[in-house]
Amino acid sequence: MVDVFGIPQKNSRGRVLVIDDEADVRKSVTMSLTKSGYEVIEAEDGQQAIGLMNSGDNPLAVDVIICDIRMPKVNGIEAVSYFRAQYPSRPVLVLTGFPDIQLATDLLKQGVVDYLVKPIEREKLAAAVESAMTRSRKAA
Amino acid sequence: MVSGDPINVILLGAGTGGTSLLELFARSPGVEVVGIADKNPDAPGLKRARELHIPASQDVAELLSRDGTGLIVDVTGDPAMAEFIARHNPRGIQVLGGMTARLLWNLVQHEAGIQAQLFQAAKLATIGTFTSGIAHDINNPLYLVMSLAEDMADESDPGVIRDHARDIVQAVRRIAAIVKGLTLYARVSSADDLVGVDLNGALDEALKMARYATVLNEIEVARDYVARPVVRGRPEEILQVCVNIVTNGVQAMNGRGALRLSTRREDGLVTATIADTGPGIPRDVLDKIFDPFFTTKEPGKGTGLGLHIARTIVKKYGGLIDVSSHEGRGTTFRLQFPSAG
Repeated sequence: MVDVFGIPQKNSRGRVLVIDDEADVRKSVTMSLTKSGYEVIEAEDGQQAIGLMNSGDNPLAVDVIICDIRMPKVNGIEAVSYFRAQYPSRPVLVLTGFPDIQLATDLLKQGVVDYLVKPIEREKLAAAVESAMTRSRKAA
Repeated sequence: MVSGDPINVILLGAGTGGTSLLELFARSPGVEVVGIADKNPDAPGLKRARELHIPASQDVAELLSRDGTGLIVDVTGDPAMAEFIARHNPRGIQVLGGMTARLLWNLVQHEAGIQAQLFQAAKLATIGTFTSGIAHDINNPLYLVMSLAEDMADESDPGVIRDHARDIVQAVRRIAAIVKGLTLYARVSSADDLVGVDLNGALDEALKMARYATVLNEIEVARDYVARPVVRGRPEEILQVCVNIVTNGVQAMNGRGALRLSTRREDGLVTATIADTGPGIPRDVLDKIFDPFFTTKEPGKGTGLGLHIARTIVKKYGGLIDVSSHEGRGTTFRLQFPSAG
């Protein structure tokens, strides 16, 4: 973990914001991505994530956003539209416990770069983040 | 449709056939069972009749002497009974016995079998609507198991490995609990004798199921339970009643609102109340909600059988179900059963 929106650690491959109401999932993502060389910031729900994104001195210091769909307060779909509108250059990955083709299509149309289903292996998650990160750098 | 005065029926024979007919007559409009008799004081139909507040007797002659009977149904299977009835039936009340009674019983058994299959199918269809929630609740702990195991594979610190192993065991226990709840709900209702079922437990178990039916989880639940509100029934059927009603409430609120579950025990009755703060049921719809295949849900979201099944089961156990609803404020269902506590 790092200070929210602090200076990215040396040797970090990038910074990822993970939004999931379940501590277990945040723990899993953090464990997997930290091992793969990323820094991870955690948010419990869409509302907290939006707060985090807008509170730092440099809100765009997050490279990739990983978001669950089924969450209280601001749910995943609302959060995704918000991030797409406010931070169009930040790639959003959806990580969900329930694969739903219709929802996946709708989200991809909204600009979500990948639709991942839990449980996901560390290497696959890292590869998806890396690919999103490349897009993010190209966009910047 | 039923027209005219109810047919007052006396049932002779309270074994399997008599009990099935008793159940059917008790929930049929236009039929009133005014008494049931069997030589065997332990016949299951006599016990069931007492639960349904229907006079049960071992004295056939006495039962036949009562006024107001419209039909005698003889399912004793005893050839001597026809003669006995003839001697004790001075008013010449119509008798349904012998082969015609057997035919009736066969039809009843057939209908009961079809209904049981329909109810089971409806239950499984309900589980279909829970898929998204179940997948979510199982895949989250599964993901933890996977990432902990991956981490353990290249971890050398025995302390970390021990902690991870402990977390994996806990996550697996959570998954097992979900599967156990589901199998309990999906189980085919047992044909065994009725047992005492605690309504508090049934409501709690139903709430776990109902949570799968909603995408959001911002429902405040308030429980106001009395100790041991026990009813006699088959646990699977009482659970199905509770799941159907609690799920409707949760779905009506669309994931946001307050659900109040309460139980009461007074005057030999047990009452469960399920109140939601959803949009309420429009007045013109309220009369139809217990009709089979009536649904206001989107295709694939409901069978239209939930409340019909709930009412059928509740009535079978001598209970009642009613509803009050205010548009814009919410809906309250009340289940009432004879107390078995």
